[in-house]
Amino acid sequence: MGKVFVAGVGMTKVGRIFNKGYKELAMEAVDKALNDAGIAVSEVDYLVVSSAFSDSLLNQVDISSILAQEMGIDVPAISVNTGESSGVAALEAALNAVRAGKSNTALIIGVEKLSEFPSAKINSSFSHVLDYEIEGIRGIAPINYAALLLKEYMKRYGVKRDDIFQWAIEMHKRAEKNPYAYLRFALDLDKARNSQVISSPLTLYDVAPLADGAAAAVLVNEDLQTTIRTQPVEIVATASATAPPIYLRNDMLDMLATKKALERLRTTVKFKMGKDIALQVHDSFSIYGFLALEELGVCGRGEGVKAIGDLQYLNVGGGLKARGHPVGASSLYALDETVLLMRDSFSGLRYDGDAALIHSISGAENNAWLALLKR
Amino acid sequence: MAGSFEEVRIMKNSISIFWRKRSDFYKIRLTKCLECGKVSFPSRTKCPYCGSKNVRIVEASGKGTLVNYTVSYYRTEDSDELQPRIIGLVKLDEGVIIPAEIVDVDPDSLRKGLRVEAVLRRLKSDDPFGLIYYGLKFSPVLK
Repeated sequence: MGKVFVAGVGMTKVGRIFNKGYKELAMEAVDKALNDAGIAVSEVDYLVVSSAFSDSLLNQVDISSILAQEMGIDVPAISVNTGESSGVAALEAALNAVRAGKSNTALIIGVEKLSEFPSAKINSSFSHVLDYEIEGIRGIAPINYAALLLKEYMKRYGVKRDDIFQWAIEMHKRAEKNPYAYLRFALDLDKARNSQVISSPLTLYDVAPLADGAAAAVLVNEDLQTTIRTQPVEIVATASATAPPIYLRNDMLDMLATKKALERLRTTVKFKMGKDIALQVHDSFSIYGFLALEELGVCGRGEGVKAIGDLQYLNVGGGLKARGHPVGASSLYALDETVLLMRDSFSGLRYDGDAALIHSISGAENNAWLALLKR
Repeated sequence: MAGSFEEVRIMKNSISIFWRKRSDFYKIRLTKCLECGKVSFPSRTKCPYCGSKNVRIVEASGKGTLVNYTVSYYRTEDSDELQPRIIGLVKLDEGVIIPAEIVDVDPDSLRKGLRVEAVLRRLKSDDPFGLIYYGLKFSPVLK
């Protein structure tokens, strides 16, 4: 099987971007990614688009064909939707296309444009990442499950409410240095502690802000990687799994989909998981950040709070928490940040390790996706 | 939600989804797998644990114990008049844990282990131009 490399990356700033629509955001990211790779748009022969809510919030079905038209290309164009983890799913679709010989130069676009509507409407759409016929109709939202998990986690491991804010504080530190991040300000314990309760005991600063943004990446095959001008980063493997809803799990703190995806990833590629690996974990709510670190084996159960201070290469862009969560684009931001980190530097950080892992989930971990990158 | 004439006239909810699923909204129905033996919520045609279609749908008593809960101020399109709401996990007497809204209770009096039972309440409404949709929520068992 031929190797596949990331030749170019491009991101827009994340935020509430009222003066740009989803097409402008997507084109901005695409132009940056193609420019980065030194590839002309006419060389793109495959397009994968990840957008979780284009249908429900932008009234746009088949967004990939519309964006292909916008770019003036006539390639195979597919849309991928696995909820919040759509970005890594799109990466896998593009990776498969290149590996299968269907594409030499595949373009991936993650784009989300949420701020067209008030929060209540966005929140309704976001809640639909859960099972609508079971949870949606009964008014149960992802944030409620995160609150229940947080409560259980604090009780079981004797973790204090203040300790959990360390996640947000650390993520804000990283976002301050990331020019593309949404929340580029320092957060202290007092401010976090005094933020409003959204779903007890979870407060505003435990929640990743839903936002607008677009991130793109260009994948090329082995033959082309020598012709690109950037230092290539290889996508070695992706793996994923679904899992039963959390109320059906023996232990709700187990990230069953993540566990299964990790097992699958390890059957295809060897890598060492440790505190020094460049890692992007899904932190739509801070509790998921801690649970992911523990499920992925970075630290022991209940030790996430103690470990986080030592994790220099964790969520280098600020994570969903502080970079912001443009849902379908979020894990492609994670990809782009990681590629820049491995290539040269990102946010003033250099990374000398040879492997990096990206983790993404949707809802209350209805699915989990992983991608392993190597220099 | 206040809005234009058109917005309020159009029904937000699907009558057919509610009609088809009425048994699962008016009763608590569980899926008992005859292959792996596990019982799950709600009724499904296949076991969510093992995928077997050798399942039997059984009705739960509607009584259980509160195992975890959160007081939610999260706003969605449906929540304007219902703030705050309590979302909990209820362990049914049949041993299955289900997510549910907890009603008719002061949040301060909630505790793990509280005995609760299913009660019929309004879930959603397209009033005044459509239907009011009902389903089961949970409230403390009256002594």
